[in-house]
Amino acid sequence: MSEKAKILIIDDDVDFRVSIRTLLQAEGYDTVEAESGKQGLEKIKEETPDVILLDIMMETMDEGYLLNQVIKFQKQFEDFKSIPVLMVSSIQEDPLSRFPAATGQVDMITPDYYFSKPVDIPRFLETLKNILKK
Amino acid sequence: MSSRSNQFIIVIDDDPVMRLSCLKILKKEGYEVETFEDGLQGLARIQQRKPDLLVVDLKMPKIGGMEVIAKVHEIDPMICIIVITGYATIGTAVEAMKTGAYDFLPKPFTPDELRIIVERGMERTLLARKSIELKKEKENLERRFVTFVSHQLQSPLSVVQQYLEVLRHLKESPNKEELQQEWIDRSISRISELKEIVKDWLAISRIDSGNLSECVEPVLVPPLFENILEGYEPSIIEKNIDTGLDLPKNVSPVAGQKECLKMLFENLINNAIKYNKQNGKLAIKAVEEEKNVIFIIEDSGIGIPHDKLESIFDEFCRVKNDRTKDIPGTGLGLAICSKIVKEFGGTITVKTKLNIGSSFKVTLPKYKG
Repeated sequence: MSEKAKILIIDDDVDFRVSIRTLLQAEGYDTVEAESGKQGLEKIKEETPDVILLDIMMETMDEGYLLNQVIKFQKQFEDFKSIPVLMVSSIQEDPLSRFPAATGQVDMITPDYYFSKPVDIPRFLETLKNILKK
Repeated sequence: MSSRSNQFIIVIDDDPVMRLSCLKILKKEGYEVETFEDGLQGLARIQQRKPDLLVVDLKMPKIGGMEVIAKVHEIDPMICIIVITGYATIGTAVEAMKTGAYDFLPKPFTPDELRIIVERGMERTLLARKSIELKKEKENLERRFVTFVSHQLQSPLSVVQQYLEVLRHLKESPNKEELQQEWIDRSISRISELKEIVKDWLAISRIDSGNLSECVEPVLVPPLFENILEGYEPSIIEKNIDTGLDLPKNVSPVAGQKECLKMLFENLINNAIKYNKQNGKLAIKAVEEEKNVIFIIEDSGIGIPHDKLESIFDEFCRVKNDRTKDIPGTGLGLAICSKIVKEFGGTITVKTKLNIGSSFKVTLPKYKG
């Protein structure tokens, strides 16, 4: 890598952001952070990250899902929709089983990648490396 | 009646006169109606589009009414089935009702008889459908709530574990010592937060279990206030809050339970302090009424945004903004208050003005010895 890959962490939990930021920086990545979905969307446009880490439950229960929808489908994010989104949540559940049921109103799309919190560090770093190779 | 235009009825009868008269009568009532001369055609249509109600003759060539009923039941047991039958087959009609038909209409019948029986059947079907929808909605809400609670409980644990795992992973780094110290402090604070949530959550389960109202005792509230305020003295001094107690002499005891009422007022006073401003005010009043005692806890704090007023008594509701983000809380305090008050037959209401303050009014019935 000639230039450091930039990872955007969208999470309302400051402690999660601190620990993951420290880990990623120690591994040689650049990090940007957002503490809400709204701020996250702004940062995507400002920073054009290489990977997005996205928390699911923030201000509302489904904020992460909705954000993923926006990034993947909304016209104004056309230029950003190919950025891989890695969803993270504290809910210990099979992600595939919960995504379709999330609101019942919005068609939920499955995220590109899913990790439960706390993230398994070796697997997480491995996944990141593979994503960025592509 | 235009509201019936989306209520769909199918009539199956081999007698063309019957089909025509049913069609006329029911259409006039505003229903959407289709008729078929035999069971096979009728069933084929039902497969395509389910009616809300089916009127079917029992005695037909090809496949008989009984068989049609069984098949329709398989397709959707919610479809209301009304059986038309000649006098000679009333025994079969009863049989049909046993297999799931809603009612039967012996031939010959008047238009009014048909109208009434269809109207009743339709009402019942729509009601049943509505209640199923409501039940589903309730289950959905409950499932979301369970997910939410487990998220609230798991979040602090997850971040503490994440801190530890990252620390273990960062073998040698120049500022590891410093990080370690900082993260230990953060972890302790998150674990305390979790302990508070668990404590509050257990309190709620205890209240929800519902036998509190069985152990009602006379409770004198004023000594509780003094006791609670004493406990909060450090924060009152730190924020330099001016506390005023305005309690009439000999306030009547209320019907409650001492520990619960203490928890109730502790939550309200705690909020009045933590959401207050520096040099703010906290006023506690009691007013005697004929049957109740009213307690008012008023602060000069940040107030509650209007759009949150409706939900502040809900579990895990917290106002999130710049002014509250550094104030710890479980989001369960007011839910506990509201449950306790209800349990003892009282009410709790709030008046609030953003940046001016909030005033909680608790009304509790007097103890009747």
